[in-house]
Amino acid sequence: MRVWIDKEKCVGSATCTIIAPNVFDINEDGQAVVANNEAEGINDINKSADNCPVQAIVIEKK
Amino acid sequence: MQIQDNLMDPSVISDPYTYFAEIRTNDPVHWSDDFGGWIVTRYEDVAFAFQDQTRFSAERVTPSRKASEKKKKELASTYNVLSHWMVFNDPPKHTRLRLLVNKAFTPSAVEKIKPRIVEISNELLDEMANNEKADIIKDYAYALPILVISEMLGLPKNDRDKIKKWSDDLMLLVFGAVDVPDRHEKAQKSLQEMYDYLHDIASKRRENPQDDLISAIAFAGDGGDKLTTDEIISTCSLLVFGGHETTTNLIANGMMSLLTHPQAYKELKDNPSLISSAVEEFLRYEGPSKAMIRIAKEDLELGGKKIKQNERLLLVQASANRDPAKFTKPDKLDITRHPNQHLGFGRGIHYCLGAPLARVEGEIAIKQLIQRFPQMTLEDVQIEWQPTIINRALKRLPVTLRGTSS
Repeated sequence: MRVWIDKEKCVGSATCTIIAPNVFDINEDGQAVVANNEAEGINDINKSADNCPVQAIVIEKK
Repeated sequence: MQIQDNLMDPSVISDPYTYFAEIRTNDPVHWSDDFGGWIVTRYEDVAFAFQDQTRFSAERVTPSRKASEKKKKELASTYNVLSHWMVFNDPPKHTRLRLLVNKAFTPSAVEKIKPRIVEISNELLDEMANNEKADIIKDYAYALPILVISEMLGLPKNDRDKIKKWSDDLMLLVFGAVDVPDRHEKAQKSLQEMYDYLHDIASKRRENPQDDLISAIAFAGDGGDKLTTDEIISTCSLLVFGGHETTTNLIANGMMSLLTHPQAYKELKDNPSLISSAVEEFLRYEGPSKAMIRIAKEDLELGGKKIKQNERLLLVQASANRDPAKFTKPDKLDITRHPNQHLGFGRGIHYCLGAPLARVEGEIAIKQLIQRFPQMTLEDVQIEWQPTIINRALKRLPVTLRGTSS
């Protein structure tokens, strides 16, 4: 599985960093980044993607 | 050069874009005595301030600096309710309140209620079809979002007019309609009535929960992070208020833009699949929110200006969204514009919670309206905008539904 942020969509609402703080972080530009792709917790990643107001979290299942 | 210092001047209310473009060109972070703070006009600076919530605070619920001590006491209860609105709070309180209701407004949650929004839109259009003329605001753009949010919350349909009255009165205060002298008193009275009303319904739901948002909020936090009664009721009032006022203006401003731009209007009629990018363009070109206020938490620098702690900043979305440094031909309405990273919903942690719902409502409302009345034309009357600093709202949008030839 690969998780990434669509920079064109991300508005920095930081919803993902609240739900999955071990996975996501906010960078200097105020946008989300995947800080730890190896982090445990697929449920939290899915929940973050579902809660994102602009659907900027992309989950690619291999 | 001298910049005219009156944000409420009739010329600024009718055309804020020319006024703010002048500031953006000559003094992009501009001190205004009239506003009592800084006016921030460039895209880059506005986006930056939205994103840096640690230094630019949204906690701004304090009585007007001109209010007397007596008045401040009288208004204490109004400010008590507003002080729990997540839009006026920084983390951690903001986070707690936002997460509580977030899941009801996610794109996937909103997707599920789409068919119901279409139905509501059709019911309103059926009623409108009985007449030759209509006021798009009163007959459609206002009613649709309030019916949707009331249904989501689980409020009785018959209470719609009551809710509109409260909401209108509260809008006078929150959006700064400074030309209404008794706006504080009106807002106070309506907010109290709305509070009692929501309190009554929330209490009933705690005894007898239903499958609606007000039940979810009433029970929220029962696990660990319990919400106080004030927080529960305030959050409901924010959703009632935020759930329709701005969406009404998105629909109305969008229709107004189309009716005054025949080429774009035709383009959308010929190709309805453009509705989604059209709505994004309405949010940029004539968005419901002209500006938002932030308070500097510390001394800082923005756009080369030294901002002191506790000074206010007016982050002007209406200017940022027309900044040529960010958008090509910014003053042109282009319903196919891409990319379109407008700031109509803000940025950062206060990014509009209801954005997914507003987008869907805007898309359905405008698409259906055009399909039903493709010959619609604007009536030849003076267009008037509400005199507020913060929002961009038409007073009326009178149209002839089947064209002028009939």
